[in-house]
Amino acid sequence: MFIHGNERDPALEAFRKEVREFCATHLPVQTRRKQALGQHIDREEYGAWLRQLGERGWLAGKWPKEHGGLDWSPEQYAVFSEELGRANAPAPVPFGVTMVGPVIYTFGTEEQKRRYLPGIARHDTWWCQGYSEPGAGSDLASLKTRAARDGDHYIVNGQKIWTSYAHWADMMFCLVRTDPDAKKQEGISFLLIDMKTPGLTVRPIIGITKGHHLNEVFFEDVRVPVENRVGEENKGWTYAKFLLGNERVGVADIGKFEGYLDSLRKLLNETEEDGAPLERSPEYQRKLAELEVSLETVKALAADQLAAARAQGSPSLMGAAALKIRSSEYQQAALQVIVDVLARNGLSYQTDALSPGWNGDLVGPEEMAGVLYEHLYRRAATIYGGSTEVQKNIIAKGALGL
Amino acid sequence: MPAFTADERTLLMESLDDFFSARYPFERFRKLSAREHPDGYGREEWAAYAELGWLGVALPERAGGSGGGLTELAIVMASAGRALAMEPLVSTLVMGAGAIERAGSATQQSLLAEIGRGALTISWCHTEPGAGYARAYVRTTASVTGDGFVLSGEKSFTLHAHNAERLLVSARLGGEDGPLALFVVPAESEGIHRKVASFLDGRRGAALTLRNVEVPAEALLGEASGGTVADRTELIESLIDRGALAVCAEAAGAMAAVTEQTVAYLKTREQFGQPLSRFQVLQHRMVDMSLSAEEARAATHSALNAHDGGDPDVRLKIWRAKVQTARSARFVGGQAIQLHGGMGMTDELAIGHYYKRLTVCEHLFGDGEWYLRQLAAGACAAA
Repeated sequence: MFIHGNERDPALEAFRKEVREFCATHLPVQTRRKQALGQHIDREEYGAWLRQLGERGWLAGKWPKEHGGLDWSPEQYAVFSEELGRANAPAPVPFGVTMVGPVIYTFGTEEQKRRYLPGIARHDTWWCQGYSEPGAGSDLASLKTRAARDGDHYIVNGQKIWTSYAHWADMMFCLVRTDPDAKKQEGISFLLIDMKTPGLTVRPIIGITKGHHLNEVFFEDVRVPVENRVGEENKGWTYAKFLLGNERVGVADIGKFEGYLDSLRKLLNETEEDGAPLERSPEYQRKLAELEVSLETVKALAADQLAAARAQGSPSLMGAAALKIRSSEYQQAALQVIVDVLARNGLSYQTDALSPGWNGDLVGPEEMAGVLYEHLYRRAATIYGGSTEVQKNIIAKGALGL
Repeated sequence: MPAFTADERTLLMESLDDFFSARYPFERFRKLSAREHPDGYGREEWAAYAELGWLGVALPERAGGSGGGLTELAIVMASAGRALAMEPLVSTLVMGAGAIERAGSATQQSLLAEIGRGALTISWCHTEPGAGYARAYVRTTASVTGDGFVLSGEKSFTLHAHNAERLLVSARLGGEDGPLALFVVPAESEGIHRKVASFLDGRRGAALTLRNVEVPAEALLGEASGGTVADRTELIESLIDRGALAVCAEAAGAMAAVTEQTVAYLKTREQFGQPLSRFQVLQHRMVDMSLSAEEARAATHSALNAHDGGDPDVRLKIWRAKVQTARSARFVGGQAIQLHGGMGMTDELAIGHYYKRLTVCEHLFGDGEWYLRQLAAGACAAA
């Protein structure tokens, strides 16, 4: 109960200012505008921004100095994420810096560190995550993609699904089954796979948004050098759990969430009902207040996570689960209210308007397409990164001893 | 007294569902909702609906219809919702035919037979920018000319306005403070600028700018008797109530379909060595979906009975049914995606499309929040 204090750290405030100024001076205006409208950003534009962060050393800021990082505290990382969100900057794609990078510097060989870490820290390499399969979603350990040893290679056969940005990626970190006879968690290995390897095919998955960032990846006799295995054979589940622990920290996108409320206030002011701005409606004022309360709570949960991480030296899986559940629910609730406001114009969904440079006739407010895209996309917020149901199981077992 | 007996209603529902399962599979929806499709709905299906008597199910017998009421139309809409049908049913049969039957002149009544034959589709063009869900906020004007009227104004994005043969347009006669009139405007009239787009659920519509659109005198709904034109505010409000209820029926059909599909999916999807349908948490969630869908259906049915029975509190029942349906649609649609996991987020599966249809239904003719606000303010006078 109420143990850890909230120390005001002037160095942290200075850092916050620094990040804010960096975004103001280095984030291209057109990128910021596209982000604000939810328009698509291509590989080059996204990569250019991440490379700028990499040059500053911030992309891998959370990493230990010995591996090319800046030894950021969890608070610094939170401030960094928040400010990027507030500035409408594209978020660092997590697969390299947050996921595989720490696995490599924790469990990898010196050669692997030398080969892969700099590219991750500078964003010279796009990474994607080969985890889920059609038959292995919530039950990831039941994955079937097979890696059979053949001399100094593994031959990989199988399929991954929900692979974000596989169509952009240079490399994939992939969980494979190296021992089909062992208990399921004990027969998994962690491989780094070059996306250009013959036999590897990427197929787009179109979402309910009509957008594309997810893919299926098929492996047909894909030869992966044994030296691309991280850690020991059949110990991959350990590394996977380590990675999932990192994935689930800082999942609350506070900067973006505050942005939702700013959008809502703006839209309430601009949207009329019976000739009067909707912001005058007591019902909408109340809805806004309720969202502000929920956001305050999410921020408090996130702050507690940071405090726990500071005190224990590692994130709390229970806290991470709670934060994930509530922040995803908040995200959906906020977007729903924004959609409700905009729906008065007629629910037009002009996906063309998400392509920058489109100059067709916009039906309704310019925010409409981006808001609807985001609303549809975040129906998955309670599914990806461990569904709410899985998170509740984690809490039930881990915190409530059930 | 109901126009159709229970047996006749059952027969109607069964023949609708048989038609839709045989001739309107999900792939048909996909084809009709594709950008490249010229119409955005099925003209052959529309012709089939006419032939099977469904377009005329609630038209008066004098117009070749079956004399059914809103309940019969609701049965059509529920089956259509189940199938994600794309055709302009509510706008033509509830709004268009409803307006013409109630207020059309003797000559205009002949349009009803055309509707029943499948020769005419109608788009409801009433809401304007700035109106929100307010029902009498109209700034479009209709000036009187020698042989008709000239319409000018803006209409918000509305279903089927991209290619309906007739646009049912509300406008204030003589100026911004004039009486509210309705016009049956031919689609090809000059001066109509359309911004065509798709709705969130794939159906098509348009936002309209009317710039000095000349229409003949006969376009005015009803007759101007002795130079005065009746103010149609009450009619419009009544039509919107009926449209809202018809959309509740459509949503009820969609919710039933989505609940069934979710149960079927969870029975086949295995994780942790067993079908997901064995997990009690998920079983209860499916029960919640089923209960919520049933609540919406029941509330809608109650309002339909009140409407067709001529009950004095019909407006109250319709508004409450709309609020209930909005709550249920949001919950059932959202859970359907959640319980399908990653698959529920794909364009490939039907479930996401049902979610989008339910979202559109929720907001047509007013959203749950608006109706609740009106109910709370006691704004519901006897219809």
